[in-house]
Amino acid sequence: MLDKAAIPANRKYLKSKKRESLLKAILNYKYFYIMLIPILVWYIVFCYAPMYGTTLAFKTYNYSKGIVGSPWIGFAHFKEILSDFQYISAVKNTLIISFGKLILHFPIPIILAILLNEITKQRAKRFFQTTLTFPHFVSWVVLAGIITNILGQNGVVNQIITHFGMENVNFLSNPDTFRPVIYITHIWKEMGWDSIIYMAALAGINPDLYEAADIDGANRWQKICNVTWPGIRPTVAIMLILYVGNMLNIGGSFDQILNLYSSPVYSVADTIDTFIYRTTFTTGADFGYMTALGLLKSSVNLVMIYTANTIVKKSGEQGLF
Amino acid sequence: MKKVKQLMAVLLTAAVLMTAVTACGSGSEGSKQTNTSASTAASTAAGNAQQQDTSKEESGSIPKEPMTLTVAFWDIDQALANAEKDQFIQKVQKDLNVTLKPINITWDDYSQKIQMWAASSQLPDIFSIDAIGTQYYRNWTQQGVVKPLPEDLSKYPTLEKYMSNPDIQALKQDGKLYCVPRGLYDSLDYCAHDRNVWYRWDLAQKAGITKEPETWEEFKSMLTAIVKADPEKKKIGGMTAVNVKQLGGFFWLYSNPAAMSDGSGSDFKWIKEDGRYIPAAFSKNTLPSLENARDMYEKGLIDKDIALVKGQEGYDKFASGKVAALLEVGYDNVSTKMNERWKKLYPDTHMLDSVKRVKYFPATDGTKYHAVFRTFWSESYFSGKIDDKKLDRILMLYDYFLKPETKESYRFGVKDVDYAKEGDKIKTLISLDELKKKQPSLEVIQGLVEFDNQFQYDPNNFTLDPRVVEIGREDMEVVRKETKIPEYQPQLTYVSTPTKDKFTIMDHDFLLNIMMGNKPVGQMWENVKKEYEAKGLSRMIDEVNAKAKEAGIN
Repeated sequence: MLDKAAIPANRKYLKSKKRESLLKAILNYKYFYIMLIPILVWYIVFCYAPMYGTTLAFKTYNYSKGIVGSPWIGFAHFKEILSDFQYISAVKNTLIISFGKLILHFPIPIILAILLNEITKQRAKRFFQTTLTFPHFVSWVVLAGIITNILGQNGVVNQIITHFGMENVNFLSNPDTFRPVIYITHIWKEMGWDSIIYMAALAGINPDLYEAADIDGANRWQKICNVTWPGIRPTVAIMLILYVGNMLNIGGSFDQILNLYSSPVYSVADTIDTFIYRTTFTTGADFGYMTALGLLKSSVNLVMIYTANTIVKKSGEQGLF
Repeated sequence: MKKVKQLMAVLLTAAVLMTAVTACGSGSEGSKQTNTSASTAASTAAGNAQQQDTSKEESGSIPKEPMTLTVAFWDIDQALANAEKDQFIQKVQKDLNVTLKPINITWDDYSQKIQMWAASSQLPDIFSIDAIGTQYYRNWTQQGVVKPLPEDLSKYPTLEKYMSNPDIQALKQDGKLYCVPRGLYDSLDYCAHDRNVWYRWDLAQKAGITKEPETWEEFKSMLTAIVKADPEKKKIGGMTAVNVKQLGGFFWLYSNPAAMSDGSGSDFKWIKEDGRYIPAAFSKNTLPSLENARDMYEKGLIDKDIALVKGQEGYDKFASGKVAALLEVGYDNVSTKMNERWKKLYPDTHMLDSVKRVKYFPATDGTKYHAVFRTFWSESYFSGKIDDKKLDRILMLYDYFLKPETKESYRFGVKDVDYAKEGDKIKTLISLDELKKKQPSLEVIQGLVEFDNQFQYDPNNFTLDPRVVEIGREDMEVVRKETKIPEYQPQLTYVSTPTKDKFTIMDHDFLLNIMMGNKPVGQMWENVKKEYEAKGLSRMIDEVNAKAKEAGIN
């Protein structure tokens, strides 16, 4: 029979044992821990310490008093933001573009990685990988110029369209066509780069599994479904959580949208980031107001990453935390 | 071996930490400036004890105490890169016993940089930005970020005269001025040339047009003819612009000229309608201009890519014959950016034989109006942290820059070295290219205090094409004789009220939206009004009318 009174004593004992073993482990690996210090310092200095600035969301910034001395105004900025139709429209656009990219872009690098993995000729594989990864390294400022020219009135696309007797299309100034352009150009620019992580995961799959599948008489499709996909599924899950957690930033695609949009498409293109940029530097809004905008966005991101993590864990994968 | 490895690990970690700490410790460029100005101020204060009574002695002569002034101005680092050899800048520094320390800002980042410096107390002694009417301008003036100018400027007579311009005096807050606006012209008449539409007369003639357009309808007919005939078979478009923010300066002239803004959104004009003041952009007269813009767009008389136009693209398209007309700013750009491109493409023809500026078309009320903004654009501010002694020296510098002899220098170089003067006539002794190489500061530094745009019309101007200068002068005569400035109440543009301080009207945004939209103009215009109403338009109008009543503005 278990002695119930002994349980707390046992827990205490186990706890102290654990602490002892942790200290021992730290001591054993002290050099690794020493090497960890710069990273911790970096996080403290650049990530945690500046967080005191978020208090500005509840203050009205006073230049002479600084962040700490500025007067508190409670939730006034939040009330103002939530009653601003432009902000509401920006949130709506950010979510639509984010989900659009999640649905349309997220699976592409996975498919691409699997397809590249099926190429047996190494030179051809490298050629495709390099060609598809290259656009990632070109800035949106440069790409926007190229895209504007390609899709412009005298651009290649419109020349083809008019050649077949159809009317010119204003791809970048028309609210109906702007978002598809955003999705397509984003996929084109990032699919190669984003597939690298899945290529790494594919490289980690044990070749014996493929050999076993060959012996069992599996065809290529069956091997993809039963060996390749299960092999990269945990990576896909982690990437999905990270994507969702960062979705409002990715969806915002500040550089991409800022360089491609114009006022005729604000109604479908203005995202939280472009709205913050315009409001801050064009109209010179209060820094407190801008901080409140940023804080709202971070809060939504936090909820989304938590939700994604929970869903992934419930579906049997490991999750991030 | 193991110990060596351990030691290496510890040393490397320490090195990384040291680097991080050092990086954190070494402040930004701006903080260095502040330190410099702080130490300068400290040394100034120390020197003050001995030189209490020297200010009178100093007036009119070289100040005895050397001083460093940090200056944030567009592309100033390039201008002062060769300061040791630049005779003009050497003379300025010697005459005022100052050292100008450049803090660079560019046209792309100045607004962001300056707002960041203001928030982190790292502002240079002198900085340039177009802040008037913005929320941060109000905050800066109320919270001591910028230093007010002394009420009595008699010690700086040229500057005092310059600041007495009514356009500048209207900026006073509680009787104080907080900046030196950067002048463009001495009269609003010259604003007419801040928005010019040029068209390809050669192509118009090839399309069968024989008479220069004098009305909106004739202008539209001419563009229709060019687009339809497409004389050079380049799939020519209608009119484009250098910057879409400038569109209002042309389209509002159709029925509501006071609605135009410089693009900042904070300089909107107020007009009286139905017994009360309202922002001109929300007048009953707005709709016809919007309908006219839509009509032109739908007929293909406006370049379909106009919303995306960037950089110098407009000039390229116009010169290469891809568009029939171009909206741009200033005759100097015509002489440089437009003419330079033209010369390369058509070396045998002078641009002005093939290109013409549109005339001033009668508006819907039958009057010919011209574009109107302000007599200045952007301002010089002085950090709130500088002491009176430093402000005194800065104002001396500004006074010096406004003097006719200094103007002459930054227009032509150093007297008797780069140019000679015979009566009123200037004789240049070196070419423009040589002057630019020899005194690289001239091109940039001339805009520190005022932009000197008046020089565009000076017959002595050797930096511009003489024919462009000539037609600019001729057109200015037409402006004075034939056109009018629309009626509006300038004082109300600068009035401060809780709602107005946060309010911006982006007239070019909704003009472009409606012009390119596919819903009925009236419906889109009603939606725009509703959106601005949600931002507090009526509240702002009430507040401004109350203020106008208080100030006795009827």
